[in-house]
Amino acid sequence: MTYRILIIEDDTAIQEGLKNLLMANGYEVGVIHDFGNVLQELAAFAPHLVLLDINLPREDGFSVCTRLRACSQVPVIFVTSRNTDMDELNSIMLGGDAFITKPYNTAILLAKTASLLKRAYADRQPESMEHRGVVLHLESSQAEYQGKRAELTKNELKIMYYLFKNAGKICPRADIVDFLWDNQLYVDDNALSVNVTRIREKLAELGLTDFIRTKHRQGYLI
Amino acid sequence: MRITGYIKDRLCLIIVNLLGIVLLTLLLLAAGNTLDIICLIAAAWLLCLSVGIMAGYRVRKRYLSELLELSDKLEERYLLSEVMEKPDRSDDAVFYQLMKSSHKSMLEEIAKIRLEQKEYKEYKEYIEQWVHEAKAPVTALKLLCENQKSDDKRAFLTELERMNHYIEQTLYFARSEHTEKDYLIRELKLMDMVHQALAENKQLLLKQKVQIKLEESGLTAYTDEKWLVFILNQLIQNAVKYRSNMPVLAFRTEQTENTVILTIADNGIGISKNELPRIFEKGFTGTNGRMEKHSTGMGLYLCRKLCDRLGVGILASSEEGKGTSFSLIFYKNQSLLTVL
Repeated sequence: MTYRILIIEDDTAIQEGLKNLLMANGYEVGVIHDFGNVLQELAAFAPHLVLLDINLPREDGFSVCTRLRACSQVPVIFVTSRNTDMDELNSIMLGGDAFITKPYNTAILLAKTASLLKRAYADRQPESMEHRGVVLHLESSQAEYQGKRAELTKNELKIMYYLFKNAGKICPRADIVDFLWDNQLYVDDNALSVNVTRIREKLAELGLTDFIRTKHRQGYLI
Repeated sequence: MRITGYIKDRLCLIIVNLLGIVLLTLLLLAAGNTLDIICLIAAAWLLCLSVGIMAGYRVRKRYLSELLELSDKLEERYLLSEVMEKPDRSDDAVFYQLMKSSHKSMLEEIAKIRLEQKEYKEYKEYIEQWVHEAKAPVTALKLLCENQKSDDKRAFLTELERMNHYIEQTLYFARSEHTEKDYLIRELKLMDMVHQALAENKQLLLKQKVQIKLEESGLTAYTDEKWLVFILNQLIQNAVKYRSNMPVLAFRTEQTENTVILTIADNGIGISKNELPRIFEKGFTGTNGRMEKHSTGMGLYLCRKLCDRLGVGILASSEEGKGTSFSLIFYKNQSLLTVL
């Protein structure tokens, strides 16, 4: 099932950018066209989550949130360039679930979105992923092949997770490093090579070679 | 006003009168009057003189106490010259004139300062407003870049990070100047703040191949999230600016009995011993700063200023050619008292 996310933001460039970002991450996205009619449009779209700006034409985000809360429990993330503590406090008091200031770190935005959706709709993340006979156990941080298991370190697990999520696609090294940094693992390009080599060794012990292929000057592919 | 003071002011008059009595006595003696009569006349003169002085004192005392009372009653005492009656006595009139003219020139001065203050306030409000407006296009650009597949996207993002930092610096400078409280003190995990600051400088750190060493810890401190992240941002950017060939940036926390300390250490070019005490001064750029064109001397000044406002200690130590380390010292217990 794809989640529907509603963007309430009047800056068209940001609206468009957010829409593309969220759609690229597998969400269905709606935007508000008539700011005099926010609640009706919201009800019509029936989103699973709302991204709400504070500075809006006609009616500010706080009052939208107040009126919204009167009839719905949908998770609300405030996204705003106003970053005084009063705003943050207000947004929490009025029933906002998260507060992100512009220019937001997209990784943080996506992570908060995902975690709120997960919490609100009890959608359990898959505990394991499978590709070409290899099973990646996320909870226990192990890789399994033909019944044999190998322990993975935190870095190795995240690298494998990224490769599994993008299975069949070439993953540029820089993108993997980006992803690791977004997950608070500060691995540089050299360390990435070291980590991948180690993963290959571990997979080789399970009797699997050539699982992670290197595409010269492009990245890794599984 | 005391009677002795009043008499002292009239010493001249009294001496003249006493001289008059002596002269009259001599005259009357020469004229062959008896001592009894002379004493009687001198006593009468003295009596008249003292009654005159006492009466003058009473009148004066009443007038002056009325003035004092009036001034006490006034909310704005500087308005006294406006409400008091114009004095009749000629010397009082002169003082009255003096008071009036000094009051007028003071009012002019105040009006000038008020105007400047108003302009400054408007300017500050404009800056805050501008910062919020400026963030919208930065956000839009950032989103556009993130959605791009091109190889240039990282270069764009790096520049956007820089731009955003300068915008933030403006905002915090405007905020650091005024006394309004714009912070929310909460218990924060220090390493979470470090992660946040690192995320905001991701592109810069990756581009300059800075190795991050981080000792995870659960230590917390009571402080404001935004301000602390801004300070960390500034320290990270300085470390990158004055880096060595193989830059390493290390974060660690420790605690003592009364404090929690967050230390950021780099292996950069360092700061010379004689310049170290001055690095937190406004506009100080030092030898390192002058070699680097983009130094304004504002970054560390702002850091210390914000630290002062938050009640956080900031210490720098450095060895030229080896690196610099900054320690942020959060006080347990007292911190809340000093801030609130």
